[in-house]
Amino acid sequence: MSMTAPPAPAPISNDPGRAWRIARPLAGIAVFGSLALLFGGVDVGVFALRVVLLVGLVVLAAALLQGKTRKFFSGPAAYMATFSLFVLVVLAIFATEISPQNPYDLRQLSIMDGRLPPGSTTFDGSMTFHLGTDEQGRDILSGILYGLRISLSVSIIATLIAMLIGVVVGIYAAWAGGRIEAVLMRIVDFQLSFPSILVALMLMAAFGRGLDKIVIALIIVQWAYYARTVRGTALSETRKEYIDAARGLGLPSWRIIFRHLLPNCVPPLIVISTVQVANTIVLESSLSFLGVGVPITQPSLGLLIANGYGYMLSGQYWMSMYPGLALLAIVASINLVGDRLRDTLNPRLTR
Amino acid sequence: MTPPVLRGVAVVALAISLPVVPLSAQTLRIGLASEASSADPHFHNLGPNNQLRRSVFESLVDNDEAQQLSPLLAESWEPIDENRWQFNLRTDVKFSDGSPFDAYDVIYTVCRIPGVPDSPSLLTTYTKAIMDFEVPDPHTLIVHTDGPYPLLPTEFSTFGIISAKANGVDGAAIDFSPDGCGDLNYPATQAFNDTSAAIGTGPFLMESYRRGESVVLVRNPDYWGEPAAWERVTLLPLTSAGPRVAALIAGDVDLVENPPLQDLDRLNADSTLRVVQGISNRVIYIHLDHELVPSPMIRNTDGVNPLQDIRVREALSIAINRDAIVARIMGGVAVAAGELLPPGMFGAHEEGDLPPNAFDADRAKALLAEAGYPNGFGITLGTPNDRYINDAQVSQAVAQMWTQIGVETDIDASTASTFFSRRNAQEFSAYLAGWGAGTGEMSSPLKALLATFDRDRGFGGTNAGRYSNPAMDDVLTEALRTVDDDARQELLRKASRMAMEDFAIIPLHYEVSPWAMKATIDYTPRADQYTLPYRVRAAQ
Repeated sequence: MSMTAPPAPAPISNDPGRAWRIARPLAGIAVFGSLALLFGGVDVGVFALRVVLLVGLVVLAAALLQGKTRKFFSGPAAYMATFSLFVLVVLAIFATEISPQNPYDLRQLSIMDGRLPPGSTTFDGSMTFHLGTDEQGRDILSGILYGLRISLSVSIIATLIAMLIGVVVGIYAAWAGGRIEAVLMRIVDFQLSFPSILVALMLMAAFGRGLDKIVIALIIVQWAYYARTVRGTALSETRKEYIDAARGLGLPSWRIIFRHLLPNCVPPLIVISTVQVANTIVLESSLSFLGVGVPITQPSLGLLIANGYGYMLSGQYWMSMYPGLALLAIVASINLVGDRLRDTLNPRLTR
Repeated sequence: MTPPVLRGVAVVALAISLPVVPLSAQTLRIGLASEASSADPHFHNLGPNNQLRRSVFESLVDNDEAQQLSPLLAESWEPIDENRWQFNLRTDVKFSDGSPFDAYDVIYTVCRIPGVPDSPSLLTTYTKAIMDFEVPDPHTLIVHTDGPYPLLPTEFSTFGIISAKANGVDGAAIDFSPDGCGDLNYPATQAFNDTSAAIGTGPFLMESYRRGESVVLVRNPDYWGEPAAWERVTLLPLTSAGPRVAALIAGDVDLVENPPLQDLDRLNADSTLRVVQGISNRVIYIHLDHELVPSPMIRNTDGVNPLQDIRVREALSIAINRDAIVARIMGGVAVAAGELLPPGMFGAHEEGDLPPNAFDADRAKALLAEAGYPNGFGITLGTPNDRYINDAQVSQAVAQMWTQIGVETDIDASTASTFFSRRNAQEFSAYLAGWGAGTGEMSSPLKALLATFDRDRGFGGTNAGRYSNPAMDDVLTEALRTVDDDARQELLRKASRMAMEDFAIIPLHYEVSPWAMKATIDYTPRADQYTLPYRVRAAQ
């Protein structure tokens, strides 16, 4: 994990304008709220909620790039990655409407449609399986769309919560210093010394399968990255004059932390979290591939690949290959966008 | 060391002899799907161990491909009264150290079985019926049991005989009692693993046993029966299916057990390879919770356990399209099941007498409505995901079919060790599992899966659904003490029919076990799924 250098000029003077100041927190609340509601058991079919989610995401992204769009879109790769990420996110959010079948509804599946090659139709011709079916008669295309949704939402939720925990721990460690800092950072070191896939495997073996459980496991293996990054940034920021000035004014600690310190720690966090979302998707897919992730009746991309894996030798490639391509596309576009974001938001490169 | 000249001569001789006797006819390499945990024949009552010991340590009674009994070290056997069986032993058998085989070796073996140190699971299940021995002459053995015990010859096919003399024990002096035989000298498990104690009567001698690497067997030159066709057999544990098949295709092994179903088409299409398959004694079934109210994994029934209603059980059974599962999930390599043991085996009905429940979704819905669940209910089906062939996929197919009649079904899949401990703790309302009838007769699944749970009698040991039907228990108990084969078979059929007509359990299919090998050799599929090197022969 590369550590982003502290920003030299305090970007706090960079006032985004009143409209953005209001839009940003609103969009944040919209995204977090709708994700939480969708996860909290609200019927995924609620269309309005998902529109709010998409609008929120777009506004957040726009706010992030506000004033820097030209720098962000500096080459064709940036356009392509952003476009494909946008398309994949839209596909994931509106999977219910787009996909020809609900692959999680066992009523709609029939094993008599199992292992059909791409382009086949159901027995009565009512539906075409454009990417073929897996052994349970699941339409691979629908499976990919729903799988994208699971992979993306699990990773985003896990990343957001892990970030929250990491920020709290990191800032607290940096601000408190001394023994508390030493203890917290040794815990972080301890956690980081284990490969995350190993820790996640052990946790899932203990918890059992389930979406909530995989989110918890992913949070546990991730928070330490954020804690370490935030502590590093916060440490260098606390030695700057503007914090001294705030202290000299007699401001209370919480105000200095939340209004002065935290906003200046955000840019590296955004970069790390984009890259981490991609990592989390891969981690979740690996866990599902290994058979400890999502429930088998609700396959994510990793489980779809695992289901088809056994048929690769016998030439029924479509069961594994198309979900694999979808996974590749989402991870590659997130990583490319993350790279551009790093270049755009890193103040060192500004000079 | 061999002088270089001699070695050169040997190579030339070999080269000359090659066209006449192909080298492959002398050595056999087998890729096994699972490995024996020890070379000690009495250490662990586990399929791979019992399979391995048969090549080296023979039992009194043999069983053939369909698990019918046949003579081995005993030439014949018969009950002489209610409590006694007489075994007439072969007189021409010698152990591989040269010591002759006699009845005292059997007693010595039965003495050792309960006391093997650190054993994960003993073979005592097969010896606990033995109350005493009588030896009128060294090649006649009379076994006392507590009451009529028709299964005794079957039990004597399950453990291999070791030599008393080779271990410095005077067999005639053994004072046998079911509680122990006093202080005798037994070989340690380690001595079997380093082959120093591997002294048996079998067609092969054990040359080396290396866990995780290989087991090497060589032909026993002094074998009493027909000598093995192979000079040397190497057993390689290739537990991962892909590499096992790849090793066969690459020619690194001559025969593999359990090639994955997905690859069978490809293997069949290869003219240099041969695939054989035979129905096994293992039934895949779904057991239902008959006891707990409310049942732990049932939803939307207001605390009632719907599985206690025979109409619901029938609905769940006829909602399953077994032919579709066999065709689509098992790739045709399975046989739909109507009871717990396939036709042709002892105590099973003749083909067609007790057919699988026919698929009828409409009637299933009607039955549910009649039972008071017009809108169905919710249930979670527990399943292992790495124990039986395509187990989790079969469970998903069942979930599909149940959901389609309105019984909303979730799947709880876990790895075998987790699954079985949860199953035994009665955590599931319905679970998929399998049962291989080790004795090859109907009493085995009925006693283990459906007899009323009673730890003291050893009944219902795997009856985690706690099915209980006293009328069936009585018929089964009667069968277990009937020595006459025809009468016992009828009683077992009757008990099986009673359970099936009560929809006590939902049988899905019998596994069919495939073997794949080079076209130059042949193997007859076995119901017990064992891969026995001495039964592998050159193709005709």
